[in-house]
Amino acid sequence: MKNSILKMAIIAVSLSPVWAAEDFKLPINLDKLAERAKESVDVTLDSSMLQLASGFLSRDDPDEAQVKKMIGKLKGIYVRSFEFDKEGQYSMNDVQAIRAQLKGPNWSRIVGVKSIKGENTEVYLLKNGDQIGGIVLLDAEPKELTIVHVDGPISPEELSRLGGHMGIPNMGKEKKRTRRESGTPDAKEDERDDEQAEK
Amino acid sequence: MTPFEEALKQALERQEPAADFTARVLARSASEDTKAGGWFGAWRLGAVAAALLIAAGGAAYQRHEHDVRGIAAKRKLILAVRIAGSKLHEVRQRVAESAEVEQ
Repeated sequence: MKNSILKMAIIAVSLSPVWAAEDFKLPINLDKLAERAKESVDVTLDSSMLQLASGFLSRDDPDEAQVKKMIGKLKGIYVRSFEFDKEGQYSMNDVQAIRAQLKGPNWSRIVGVKSIKGENTEVYLLKNGDQIGGIVLLDAEPKELTIVHVDGPISPEELSRLGGHMGIPNMGKEKKRTRRESGTPDAKEDERDDEQAEK
Repeated sequence: MTPFEEALKQALERQEPAADFTARVLARSASEDTKAGGWFGAWRLGAVAAALLIAAGGAAYQRHEHDVRGIAAKRKLILAVRIAGSKLHEVRQRVAESAEVEQ
């Protein structure tokens, strides 16, 4: 009897870091940044709030219908965004506290972009076997800090599909515009595609 | 029999009630019942109406509160999706730009 209890305790202790790694929480000290920010956004929507919001999304509006479909499986959406007047209003410790939680074995960094302007953007995915269990997007710019946590099964592609809707730019069109401006050979192909689409 | 006894006998002599006595008593009794029942009935009806009014008011207030919270949640959700989508768009754009630079 004692042996089985001991075994169970050992299993529980050995599994606990995995659970901790999956359980991502936005640090509370981030709220202090709101005092220094010119503009701040704080969105906390747990599953019950998502369900409530879902009830108010129209099925007839294509944008809202798409969001309704997307959030059906989610457990929560959390956003903290701060825009500052000047640089240096948040410390790297604030960002590190977030990154530290994303070092668990189930989290993987799928994108990391650093620019010379000091913009540092990372996207992390939580994997539960073959399924995606959540996304964390961390965007640290000199005058802006944004953290988005989507808790639940969602892929970045699903979010990208909202491009062109709800004020989100369309990646495809944006790419074509850039190519047209730069005059790359693909530009002519894009023009042909657009003409065909119009027909 | 003394004159006193004679007077007493006459006073206590059995007298039959009038023919409509029973009907009058029953009619009076029924009228009293109706009067009392009317008061009670009106009071009861008022109480039920007031309770219904309170219940309807409470339900309407709850519905209003639910709607207010729901609309606020919907606005928050759309804002969150907009921020998430825009940021992801920025990331993809940066990745695409850096890939083109590398090419």
